[in-house]
Amino acid sequence: MTQTLLDVRGLRTVFETRAGRVCAVDGVDVTVQRGECLGVVGESGSGKSVTFSSVMGLVKSPGRVDEGTISFDGRDLRALSPAEMRAVRGRDIAMTMQDALTALNPALTVGEQIAEVLEAHDETLPPRGAARRAAIRAKSVEMLGLVGIPSAENRLRQYPHEFSGGMRQRIMIAIALACRPKLLIADEPTTALDVTIQAQVLELISDIRARLGMSVVLITHDLGVVAEHCDRVMVMYAGQVVEEGPTAQVIGDPQHPYTQGLLASIPRPGLRGQPIRPIEGQVPDLIGLAPQCRFYSRCTRRTDACLAPVEMRAAGPNRRARCILIEEDRA
Amino acid sequence: MSLLTVENLSKHYEGRRSLVERLTGVPQTVVRAVNGIDLTVEKGEILGLIGESGCGKSTLGRAILRLHEPTTGKVTFDGTDVTALDAAGLKAMRRRMQIIFQDPYASLNPRRTVAQIVGLPLKLHGLAQTDDEARAIVARICERVGLKANQLDRYPHQFSGGQRQRIGIARALVSNPEFIVCDEPVSALDVSIQAQIIALLLELKREMGLTYLFISHDISVIGYLADRVAVMYLGEIVEMGPVEAILANPRHPYTQSLMSAVPEVDHAGRRARVRLAGDLPSPLNPPAGCKFHTRCPLAVEACRSRAPVTETVGPGHSAACHRLAENLSLLEGTPA
Ligand SMILES: Nc1ncnc2c1ncn2[C@@H]1O[C@H](COP(=O)(O)OP(=O)(O)OP(=O)(O)O)[C@@H](O)[C@H]1O
Ligand SMILES: Nc1ncnc2c1ncn2[C@@H]1O[C@H](COP(=O)(O)OP(=O)(O)OP(=O)(O)O)[C@@H](O)[C@H]1O
Ligand code: SF4
Ligand SMILES: [Mg+2]
Ligand SMILES: [Mg+2]
Repeated sequence: MTQTLLDVRGLRTVFETRAGRVCAVDGVDVTVQRGECLGVVGESGSGKSVTFSSVMGLVKSPGRVDEGTISFDGRDLRALSPAEMRAVRGRDIAMTMQDALTALNPALTVGEQIAEVLEAHDETLPPRGAARRAAIRAKSVEMLGLVGIPSAENRLRQYPHEFSGGMRQRIMIAIALACRPKLLIADEPTTALDVTIQAQVLELISDIRARLGMSVVLITHDLGVVAEHCDRVMVMYAGQVVEEGPTAQVIGDPQHPYTQGLLASIPRPGLRGQPIRPIEGQVPDLIGLAPQCRFYSRCTRRTDACLAPVEMRAAGPNRRARCILIEEDRA
Repeated sequence: MSLLTVENLSKHYEGRRSLVERLTGVPQTVVRAVNGIDLTVEKGEILGLIGESGCGKSTLGRAILRLHEPTTGKVTFDGTDVTALDAAGLKAMRRRMQIIFQDPYASLNPRRTVAQIVGLPLKLHGLAQTDDEARAIVARICERVGLKANQLDRYPHQFSGGQRQRIGIARALVSNPEFIVCDEPVSALDVSIQAQIIALLLELKREMGLTYLFISHDISVIGYLADRVAVMYLGEIVEMGPVEAILANPRHPYTQSLMSAVPEVDHAGRRARVRLAGDLPSPLNPPAGCKFHTRCPLAVEACRSRAPVTETVGPGHSAACHRLAENLSLLEGTPA
């Protein structure tokens, strides 16, 4: 068994729209080690959700995965049939969607939704009859208990709208964890939540990760969340990874001008009294991008050399960044 | 004298009842969104107002401007009792007191151009004699907030979120106000765009001598820019004080748990975590006694029956909690 659980190379996902081809994910590499937590940050529209929907085989028309390899636990996911992919999704990889309110089915009780996942994927259940139903029930109660929902017995009968936002997120996590996946992808699990509830949900994910030895991908736009919960971080900008490395190193000594700008501009008490230096300008339109550094228009350190395509470079052991300022030989 | 004084301000919304509920005598429900708030804002300062979703921050901001009529209480601005003003007086006062809204997508009329949106207050308050003059003022203020002259005749949907928030800021500034309620002006924006808008608001404040009530649920933002902070929980202010005191020495258990819950880039893993049990109670049915007692790790019997009174705990620093005298901290053991 190798240490690498997920290995994505050169992923390209495009959407054909009336305005033109949107290259939402363009040449993205991702690796997730067993048991690790990878943070994925970047602005709205930078391709975080599409990258991992691609891994899950959940990109819908007009989108499609155009290029790249996705290997999970030694298997090539792009070569699997839809039925095989469905099996992987329930059993091996689970993703909680950005919007818990719409991702849960409002017409089914929470119990029915957990049961559905168990029915489809849990091979340890008794084959049929009352024993099977009892086992599903017991497991469902256990899962809700695991995510800290009290009196789970009764709450299985309730519908999603009867729960608060924080509880719905925890129910989503419970459903995702029902089959003990090897990898949990949590897409902005806390964005819609208040800080005190956010802290509860994140600690829950960390606890379960430690207990079940699972790997986690945490998609967020909050670098503070990454700093506290992730071993490694991957920074995305306009469909590409621009920087990647161990969290403490990336936050302590960012290499890419976008990461640097982001860290210098997050308003926080530590910067009180100092002017913040925002990154000027806006994210480029993903249609008809010029073959140059995508941060060019906003970068304070740009030169003419940035007008050619820029590849990821090694920026030290275990670190990479996509900028011509990185000297290749530092690796 | 403070520029703004708010005394015992409350705003209660009546809940909706269906016809059947009314006929069968189901009692009227009341959402006590804002409940007996006292605060002052000094000229030239930024008072940060922080609290979780639904605790009543926007309602308070709007009730101060009488965009929502307060249920009870008094608001005094620069010596004038705003709550006693008639329609004409209120209109004149609105020139001096403005608001920037939480949602840059919903708060701009989609059928008006930028020039029309930003120019409207000029028209309303008769601040420009001619159309040309109005246009010139609009162009100047738009340029100041970072919009280009050739964008003035475009419609809101043609702009990004950050640009829309700039339009909202221009609209608030065009009548040359003294006081602005900034209601989560950056919450809907991308991280790198948030910083642009915050930098702009701070520059404008300095240049124009403005005073802000800055509403946010983001402690990092408040900690960066506010001079004083008011912490709100279920319609009430539970703690208020200078930003340094609130950050370094929060005294209310709710403020302490808020502080410990913020994930911080600078102090990852160095904070003691306070785990709050349970979810935010419904304002329809607020708990008796101290409203925080259902989640408070320090709650004792008194907290369940009696509401605590606000006490002074330091210079300009006050809090409302039964256990203040014991000087407990949920953050104990936190490395400094
Ligand atoms: N169905 C679609 N049709 C066209 N373009 C799409 C579609 N879905 C996504 N995109 C585009 O793909 C890009 C990446 O979107 P994605 O949802 O991955 O962003 P994200 O990084 O997750 O952003 P957020 O932080 O807002 O969730 C966006 O620019 C978006 O416009
Ligand atoms: N027009 C209204 N009618 C009835 N109830 C209302 C109305 N507006 C707000 N409320 C209720 O009053 C309470 C306070 O709402 P408010 O919008 O002031 O909260 P907030 O602190 O600004 O929250 P957020 O951070 O989500 O913006 C909530 O429970 C809300 O549901
Ligand atoms: S009064 Fe009691 S319940 Fe309220 S915050 Fe203080 S200790 Fe907690
Ligand atoms: Mg997304
Ligand atoms: Mg609000």
